[in-house]
Amino acid sequence: MDFLRPAGWSEALEAKANHPDATPIAGGTDVMVELNFDHRRPETLLDLTRIEQLREWSRTERNGVPTVRIGAAVPYARLIEELGTTLPGLAMAARTVGSPQIRNRGTLGGNLASASPAGDGHPPLLASNAEIELESVRGSRTLPLADFFTGVKRTDMAPDELIAAVHVPEGTGPQQFSKIGTRNAMVIAVCTFAVALHPRRRGVGTGLGSAAPTPRSATEAEEFLAGALAEDGQWDDPRPLPASVTERFGELVARAAAPIDDVRGTAGYRTHALHVLARRTLSWAWDEYRSGTELSGRQRCA
Amino acid sequence: MTGATRATSPGPERIEGHAKVTGTARYAFEHPVADPLYLHPLRATIARGRVTSVDTTAAERVDGVRLVLTHHNAEALVPIGDPELAVLQSDEIAFRGQLIGAVVAETQESAAHAADLVEIRYERMAHDSDFRDDADIVYTPDADASPMLSPDLEEGDVDAALADAAFTVDATYTTPTEHHNPLEPHAVIAAWDDDGLTLHDSNQGSHLVRDLIAPLFGVDKERVSVISPHVGGAFGSKGMPHGHVALTALAARHTAGRPVKYALSRTQMFELVGYRPPTRQRVRLGADREGRLVATEHDSLEQTSRFKQYAEQSASASREMYTSPNRRVTNRLAALDVPAPTWMRAPGEAGGMYALESAMDELAVSAGIDPVELRLRNEPEVAPVSGLPFSSRNLPACLREGAERFGWHERDPRPGVRREGDWLVGTGVAASSFPSLFFPGSLATIRHESGGKYRVEIGAVDIGTGSRTALTQLAAEALEVPVEAVELWLGSTEQPHASLAGGSAGTASWGSTVVEAVRAFRTEHGHDPVSGAETTAGAGKNPDAGEYAMHSYGAQFAEVRVNADTGEVRVPRMLGVFAAGRIVNPRTARSQFLGGMTMGISMALHEHSVVDERFGHVVNHDLAGYHIAGNADVGSVEVDWIDEHDPHVNPVGVKGIGEIGIVGTAAAIGNAAHHATGVRVRDLPLTPEKFLR
Repeated sequence: MDFLRPAGWSEALEAKANHPDATPIAGGTDVMVELNFDHRRPETLLDLTRIEQLREWSRTERNGVPTVRIGAAVPYARLIEELGTTLPGLAMAARTVGSPQIRNRGTLGGNLASASPAGDGHPPLLASNAEIELESVRGSRTLPLADFFTGVKRTDMAPDELIAAVHVPEGTGPQQFSKIGTRNAMVIAVCTFAVALHPRRRGVGTGLGSAAPTPRSATEAEEFLAGALAEDGQWDDPRPLPASVTERFGELVARAAAPIDDVRGTAGYRTHALHVLARRTLSWAWDEYRSGTELSGRQRCA
Repeated sequence: MTGATRATSPGPERIEGHAKVTGTARYAFEHPVADPLYLHPLRATIARGRVTSVDTTAAERVDGVRLVLTHHNAEALVPIGDPELAVLQSDEIAFRGQLIGAVVAETQESAAHAADLVEIRYERMAHDSDFRDDADIVYTPDADASPMLSPDLEEGDVDAALADAAFTVDATYTTPTEHHNPLEPHAVIAAWDDDGLTLHDSNQGSHLVRDLIAPLFGVDKERVSVISPHVGGAFGSKGMPHGHVALTALAARHTAGRPVKYALSRTQMFELVGYRPPTRQRVRLGADREGRLVATEHDSLEQTSRFKQYAEQSASASREMYTSPNRRVTNRLAALDVPAPTWMRAPGEAGGMYALESAMDELAVSAGIDPVELRLRNEPEVAPVSGLPFSSRNLPACLREGAERFGWHERDPRPGVRREGDWLVGTGVAASSFPSLFFPGSLATIRHESGGKYRVEIGAVDIGTGSRTALTQLAAEALEVPVEAVELWLGSTEQPHASLAGGSAGTASWGSTVVEAVRAFRTEHGHDPVSGAETTAGAGKNPDAGEYAMHSYGAQFAEVRVNADTGEVRVPRMLGVFAAGRIVNPRTARSQFLGGMTMGISMALHEHSVVDERFGHVVNHDLAGYHIAGNADVGSVEVDWIDEHDPHVNPVGVKGIGEIGIVGTAAAIGNAAHHATGVRVRDLPLTPEKFLR
């Protein structure tokens, strides 16, 4: 096995172009498990840990929207410590990943590249309409995260591309995330759900995890809720949400799922649980919105 | 928060505690040996059949490979009646994952790589690994063949008594396959030289390993040394040597004296070191209007292996627990093409008491009697089946003390009526019991070094329980010297013969041995012995053995919260109160009870090996898929015990504490979950979807 250790980003892109079959490795929390279990035996490993710029994040603006650009090798622990108030939904999800050691090592870019349907970072990124920046020696492109996932552990990445960064619009309203697992920590999700309220553009974002072949949004649920909120003038004068609205929102979220039975849970349980998580996270988010908290970094346990 | 709140002296710290937490205590694999080679096993990828051909050419070409061992070139072993140890003796495959060869190389990596290049072809035969109640696979184990088996018990007329009973329960409970995952995976270093075989081995009995491995290789016992100074947990999985020990010793025959090292991976452990077999248990109870049992029936079906019989006896938990004039207890086995099960902490009692104590709770609910009170009303005067008096039995004291401490008396018995936010809240209780065993045959050497310093040697093994510390205390007490004046040596066949660390019998058996050896030393050398004075002796027969029924008891209380919407289960609070004879060292004893209860929480909520019957293997064969309770799953666990003086059980008055902590825990949690939700889940583990109905 060849082990490539580029010192910089352009060198890494060159290496990937020359070795399109190379498996990139950053935190190693997925790749090393696969190697240890012999599920995968790449000819070439491309170590990204020496590339400083991948470990940086910065505030930028995209199309007039304040956005955080997160380098692909920023670990979960730093998302929690440094971005807890700016991107609360993502930070909440990061807190549910593995153990402290895994959160120190595991990176957001790795989570995306693995493209597991159960990746904890995906739902809040979808709910925030995040975009992913891919780069190769041919150039750079940015696409909505929803278009990035193409199947179970499959993505739209070309063989010569690497993930450079993720662009996440800063939250302008409450964000929530909830996860169900078969134990209380260090667990692969049975299902997850993220919701984000976007009062400035009067929109709603959602993300479902472990509920379909790819992480996905519940578009119908988003449109329904945004419509109901606008219709009742709730954005400007927030009142308690009618039970019919939360109930319908839950139904539409559950309907967006296409789950399977596996050792962690049944499809039936997942559908039921998503319904619950959707109502639960929406009521948390809405309570926050009503109490005037613009942003929330608080974690709520499932 | 976890803790024992009683105000007694905590007991000495674990003697090797500092060495363990600072990483200087040496475990089997870490023993420094010169010029070692590393073994990687070849394992069957079919569940039944035979090996038709092996091509080792590519493997042998790998740099650093010194040996590829298969049934073609392995030497013949002496048949000693243990199929697990008879590795590479034929081409037959009896279960998926079976050891069928090994690669030995200069590094672990090259051994693993070369193992992958060995081409093995099979003749595949139909296999059956689907645990079920089916006449084709179910049989009655021959109770005459082993003293560990009890025959069917039939007293009175159970059916008639059930027909006339005021209250009845008829329920079937299932427990899943659970796999051993001690902190330290099994490991061995084997080296042959002119003196014979040396094994640095992680085990529960170095002498037992020697007693089996020496005849297997046809050598005198004196020519086999087994050394095991520290063991990182065992729980029964290191009780009998498994195939990897024989395989490593076999491979080391070919290495011209170079030591061969082998540490199992987690995934290999799921196939090679035994497991708790799944059970299906039907319990029928009948009681009169006052809740007194008139009939007890417990039938258990458990998995065994066609390859090697292991007969767990879960239903036997119901033999001596409660008074009941009519009683039927049966144990059946279902033989499958699977790896051999083995002892796992409280084998039989853990699963059997889950069923019995869940059924007792169901009886309490249907009779409208408080579950603590129901157990008190069925307390026997003498052991119900044998008719023997109890050496001591303080279950009522455990129940009463626990109820008081837990705040049980304010409990509203109605299920499913307490809600805090989204959480349904309930409490439950279950009783625990475990036999107090004594293994004969151990010897200890007491030697006066000089100036009042003593050296005590016994070939026992401290598997992490604190035996080294407890035995040092007992020796010091018997010698009437401070603990610091005693240096205790154990873990190796260099020390006198000692029984297995199992059956919660270590301190009872070895402690009695040490105390009796000190008495013999004093008789021989007096109270002012010369330097070098030495005596080796063992414990005599206990005159009360067979005259009394000897068990430890406990009562476990649990608070459980179940999320009304998602069915997630949390255990915020547990209390265990035990009666286990003399507690030699409260500090290490507390750790044993606490560890048992924590393992019980894990059994109740998480542990479940998922078998894919199509291939006969465990799918979730690693710690990512096989869940064990983590810190976030364990809330407050409190441990306490009743002061109990038992003059009959053995010379040191201890009853054994290693296993009782896991007995009853799962039932207490399941009973509390029913009290919280009104939903009775009878299949472990208690996962969220089972509470949504």
